Amino acid sequence: MKKSKFLIFIVALAVIFLIGPFIIIIVSSFNETAVMKFPPKGFSLQWYQKVFSVDMFKTTFWISLKIGFFATIIALVIGIPVAYLNVRYKYRGKNIVELIFSSPAIIPGLVIGFALLRYFIYVAQVPITVGLFLGHTAILFPYTVRVVSASLRNFDLSVEEAAVSLGSSPIGAFFRVVFPNIQAGVVAAFILAFITSFNNVPISLFLTGPGVSTLPIQMLVYMEYYYDPTISALSSIIIVLTVLIVQAAEKVLGISKYM
Amino acid sequence: MNPLKSKKTLLLLAGPGFIFLLIFFFLPLLYVLIESFQSDVGQFTLRRYYDVISDAQFKLVFIRTLRMALIVTPIAVIVGYPCAYFISKLSAKKKSILTTIIILPLMTSPVARTYAWIVILGKFGIVNATLTALNIFAEPTRLLYTEGAIIVGLLQLFMPILILTVSSSLENVNSEVEEAALSLGSNRIGVFFRVVVPLSFEGLIMGITLVFTGCFTAYVTPAILGGANVLTLSTLMREQALVLMNWEAATVIAVLMIITTLIIYNGIRAFKPRNM
Repeated sequence: MKKSKFLIFIVALAVIFLIGPFIIIIVSSFNETAVMKFPPKGFSLQWYQKVFSVDMFKTTFWISLKIGFFATIIALVIGIPVAYLNVRYKYRGKNIVELIFSSPAIIPGLVIGFALLRYFIYVAQVPITVGLFLGHTAILFPYTVRVVSASLRNFDLSVEEAAVSLGSSPIGAFFRVVFPNIQAGVVAAFILAFITSFNNVPISLFLTGPGVSTLPIQMLVYMEYYYDPTISALSSIIIVLTVLIVQAAEKVLGISKYM
Repeated sequence: MNPLKSKKTLLLLAGPGFIFLLIFFFLPLLYVLIESFQSDVGQFTLRRYYDVISDAQFKLVFIRTLRMALIVTPIAVIVGYPCAYFISKLSAKKKSILTTIIILPLMTSPVARTYAWIVILGKFGIVNATLTALNIFAEPTRLLYTEGAIIVGLLQLFMPILILTVSSSLENVNSEVEEAALSLGSNRIGVFFRVVVPLSFEGLIMGITLVFTGCFTAYVTPAILGGANVLTLSTLMREQALVLMNWEAATVIAVLMIITTLIIYNGIRAFKPRNM
């Protein structure tokens, strides 16, 4: 079908609107002055130096990395069986089970963070890092279920049945026949869930304490006190890293089809 | 899909996830919910709800949040739907390239994404620089910390969600159906509205639901682009909880946010056509 010029115009406009800001922030991070001016004046790497000299950025970067890694692993461990259950079987009350498992994606993140703070930190006196880990795991869980389910749907389950009828145990068949075939989906789920955790603000917002916070929250705190291109520089680093990861994941795994 | 024969399999597969969510998700939410209906001495009361709902600032913020969601959603549909249609017609390779570009706002840190708008809309930003250079404004105007700034930021975040949901539902629309309608004398616009839109209606409804509820509960965008001047429900809740230490009010706002989200979620999805 021929594409009309009008359609191309709208798409071009949307693309400029969606990614133009990223280009502008990267250009502005090389500004020489502390005033956030665009187009920028001169060329300087001083804001990049400053990013690496702020200790709290380093500390919270590692916390974000660790929380993201462990929360994603646990979300996968409890999420893969649920995805398998929902793709493989039909049973009574399936709608309700699916609703229960997707509810962390429906309830606003801010409310989840607030509830965890009230209940776990104040009532149960759990350390903040543990609260962060639990909250992140809860919101990543529906994510891993969805991505792994998408991958399982593309796998012909009769292959698994063949393995079982040839004498393999159901668990053995899962690990030797099913899992190797959905590996790409599991890796895609890992990447998407990890990025989601690494970027999360609403949950982490309430779960901060002395010396414990995540990188996005630390960036918000920094912005309240300083108005200079340091955040532009840090944002540019994060944007470039994200683009590289998403590009690589798209090339190897075709990640966009799992979104 | 096979029928599930034993309860044991169900428990084995869903059990760990269910127990996790029960303890670390539903229990805290239930605690907050019960707390919101309790007076200081532990008796049932609606007093807290009454106090929050009758507050003039709350009403203002609630209506503002709703209004912004009502503005962002149709714009996201009007611009996003044609984009989704365009994407669905591309070859696999081009589709992959354009999709990775469009999902970029979803994948990057919300703080980084939103901060870009501070650079653009700021006093010395590109928009103000252009407007003053063209003599439209004598001096830089305030664009940041306004409802308009939040709307722009929300659009950048939610348009990709609409595009993704609709384009995946358009995959199922067969080009031959369109061509059949064309050859039977319908014009291009007629085909679009009478063939393409109805066939992707379910995806469109899903997209609208996600965009609307997302706008209603977004936090980072209004926090950075609205600041303390233009509060939305989520930034108001955060202010009550972490700045004013008014836990009661924050709890009530949290519950009201859940209720409103669920009403919107189910309300829009009720439009789902049956057996189309």
